[in-house]
Amino acid sequence: MSILELFKAIQTSDLSRFIGSQNHLFCAVAQMFHIAGLILLLASIVLVSLRLLGIGLPNLSVIQLSKATKWLVWSGLGLLTVSGIVIFVPAATNYAPNTFFWSKFILLAIALLLHVTLFRKVTTSENPNPFIAKTTAVLSLSLWFSVAFAGRFIGFF
Amino acid sequence: MSLIEFAQVLYDSETGTALRESIYAFPIVEGLHLIGLAFSFGLLMFIDLRLLGVFLRTVPAQDLLYSLRPWLLGGFLITIATGILLFIATATKIILLPVFYIKLALIVLAGINAIVFELKWGRNVDVWGTQSVLPTSIKYAGLVSLVLWSAVIITGRLIPYLNYE
Repeated sequence: MSILELFKAIQTSDLSRFIGSQNHLFCAVAQMFHIAGLILLLASIVLVSLRLLGIGLPNLSVIQLSKATKWLVWSGLGLLTVSGIVIFVPAATNYAPNTFFWSKFILLAIALLLHVTLFRKVTTSENPNPFIAKTTAVLSLSLWFSVAFAGRFIGFF
Repeated sequence: MSLIEFAQVLYDSETGTALRESIYAFPIVEGLHLIGLAFSFGLLMFIDLRLLGVFLRTVPAQDLLYSLRPWLLGGFLITIATGILLFIATATKIILLPVFYIKLALIVLAGINAIVFELKWGRNVDVWGTQSVLPTSIKYAGLVSLVLWSAVIITGRLIPYLNYE
């Protein structure tokens, strides 16, 4: 089964028909949850990264900040996933030829991989190597911002 | 000059036309508007949640207020600058949408709340900022900020959906 056939099957599924039968503002509501999730996620990454880079919150520890934002990161990702499915399913075939759609998910995979490896390691150790901490923050910010940018681009192409 | 004429001048301006005609310019400005939001509303959200006593409650509120201020103000600058560009590029259409005026009114209200907070509490943060449970009126200021800025984002995101009806 090719990707396009798979996306066609998704678009003609019962779930797709259900979403399609809703008011057009249903999709706007999904977009709102998508942006809410994105803000929770990005703001948390920004907050921790400011500290990792040594340019904010000097009186707080990295561990304290990552603990406080952990649930926000995962609720953000949860909101993004559910609302993203609602946005994707009824128009699945439109996304198949979209370069930014695929770029976004490749970037997302890399961002998530970094998040559960290096980022987690740096934000849970008492005294991370400052160079590694700063590199991780720059990589993490760049990747998550690129995911957001690629996502924003999808609708224009 | 009427509002409609003014919007037409902006829409026809070189900036407005260039933004609409370039393939990449408009989405890039939209992307920056979003990144600006992560810094402005995103970081302000942490302060509001701290004022409410539900986030980092063992950390003195002043540590967050002082340290995040330049970053969130910088975020607001990016959000506002890119917002003005987006307005210029779509001026003639957007001024016909009631939801756009609701968004502007909400921004003004949120701004007033911020200024009142700054004048009343921002100057003597050293006095109250180290307490773990804050005075009720400070909590309200945080709640009002959170609700108003959320409403700004909701009305902002609604703009394209009400546009194409």
